[in-house]
Amino acid sequence: MSATTQSPKSPARKPPATETASSVKMIRLMGSVSLICGLLIVTTYRGTLAPIQRNQEIIMKETVAELLPGVERQVVYGVQPAGGITVLKNLDYAGPRLFAGYDASGALLGVVLEASDRGYADVIRTMYAYSPSKQAITGFKVVELKETPGLGDKITSDPAFLANFRHLDVRLNADGTSTAHPVTTVKQGTKKNPWEVDAISGATISSRAVGRALDKSTRDLLPIVNRHLGRIEKGE
Amino acid sequence: MAHVHGQELPASTAENMEAFFNGLWNQNPVFVQVLGMCPTLAVTNSVRNALAMGLATTFVLVCSNTLISMVRKLVPKQVRIATYILIIATFVTIVDYLIKAISIPVYKALGAFIALIVVNCIILGRAEAYASKNPVGKSMLDGLGMGLGFAFALTCLGGVREILGAGSFLGIHLFGANFQPWVLFLLPPGGFLTLAAWLLIFSSWKARPRKKAEALEEIAA
Repeated sequence: MSATTQSPKSPARKPPATETASSVKMIRLMGSVSLICGLLIVTTYRGTLAPIQRNQEIIMKETVAELLPGVERQVVYGVQPAGGITVLKNLDYAGPRLFAGYDASGALLGVVLEASDRGYADVIRTMYAYSPSKQAITGFKVVELKETPGLGDKITSDPAFLANFRHLDVRLNADGTSTAHPVTTVKQGTKKNPWEVDAISGATISSRAVGRALDKSTRDLLPIVNRHLGRIEKGE
Repeated sequence: MAHVHGQELPASTAENMEAFFNGLWNQNPVFVQVLGMCPTLAVTNSVRNALAMGLATTFVLVCSNTLISMVRKLVPKQVRIATYILIIATFVTIVDYLIKAISIPVYKALGAFIALIVVNCIILGRAEAYASKNPVGKSMLDGLGMGLGFAFALTCLGGVREILGAGSFLGIHLFGANFQPWVLFLLPPGGFLTLAAWLLIFSSWKARPRKKAEALEEIAA
């Protein structure tokens, strides 16, 4: 404040030499402060990289174990743009990921996949377990949401809503290119078919977002899972 | 103000204590100065979030106050705000990585509000009003006091909102299954109501000794 009020009064008194000197001084100071700050950030980034990745892996493993009870071994596959799959060493992968879970004898329990869509407040991220033998979704969990407490966030806790995902029919069509019936969200109490999701009244937008997310994810990814089922069953 | 008489003299313990308790109580950033209202209302829907936000802000305040106080004589007046913001943003980025490394659920709950610590007016306010004029030790204590005062205030709000809105404290359920939570308190209006109630309590508390003194004066007169 004081600097701006003084400057119009005294431009003539200041010789230009000092002004250049002070500019150099400013640049030098800002440069050195930036250098120190940059070094601090890089050091922290390098130091926290491993713990952050470990945290993310632990959370993913726990979620997969929750969705596939009895899981003993997990293998993560990345889906390539062309439709192939590759075993991932690191969870950092831009494309869709498949989390295959195996029991103690090495048999495939199911595949956990990710699904997300826009809810009321922000994107709702979910994970679900798909059982290739039952051709159905057998488990479901919301992993990230910012929906209104008491309304939209019921999708994480409402027992009737979660019961939808104990066996949600997502069988593939005859030529295996998509699901036979799209997952659709219906008004509470009107569910008739095993591929329909009974919405929560009062959380319609969030329930529909879950339905849309699952529909898109199952249509895109389940054909890929089934095409590579032989490989996934062997865990290679 | 506490910093009027503390220029370059070696700070005494009493002065240091004053610098510390000033932020914690007398000049509490939330309850007295009413600064930093955005995170105060947004992330206090549970005690865990409130504490995490308060401690993150404390970390940034202590570090930025210290570094700014160290370079205070080298910084030309014209670029001081730019320099302060640069230093503050650096520590916010660091705290962002640290929280992610400590707990991903807390990181997700706080979301964009960690990055927004950069523009929390408490931090730039302390840099400009205190750290740029005072020695390193006192600036550090001022940052610690202000930060803990902020954390204390957020925890007060978070406590009330979590107890009434979810029937729990730090995730531990306090009441039986029959408790019907007042979801309103987890929503934005509940934040405003709780803040108003705390401000009322705090200012009537602060006004009380003054009334006593006035009453004594009246009696004496």
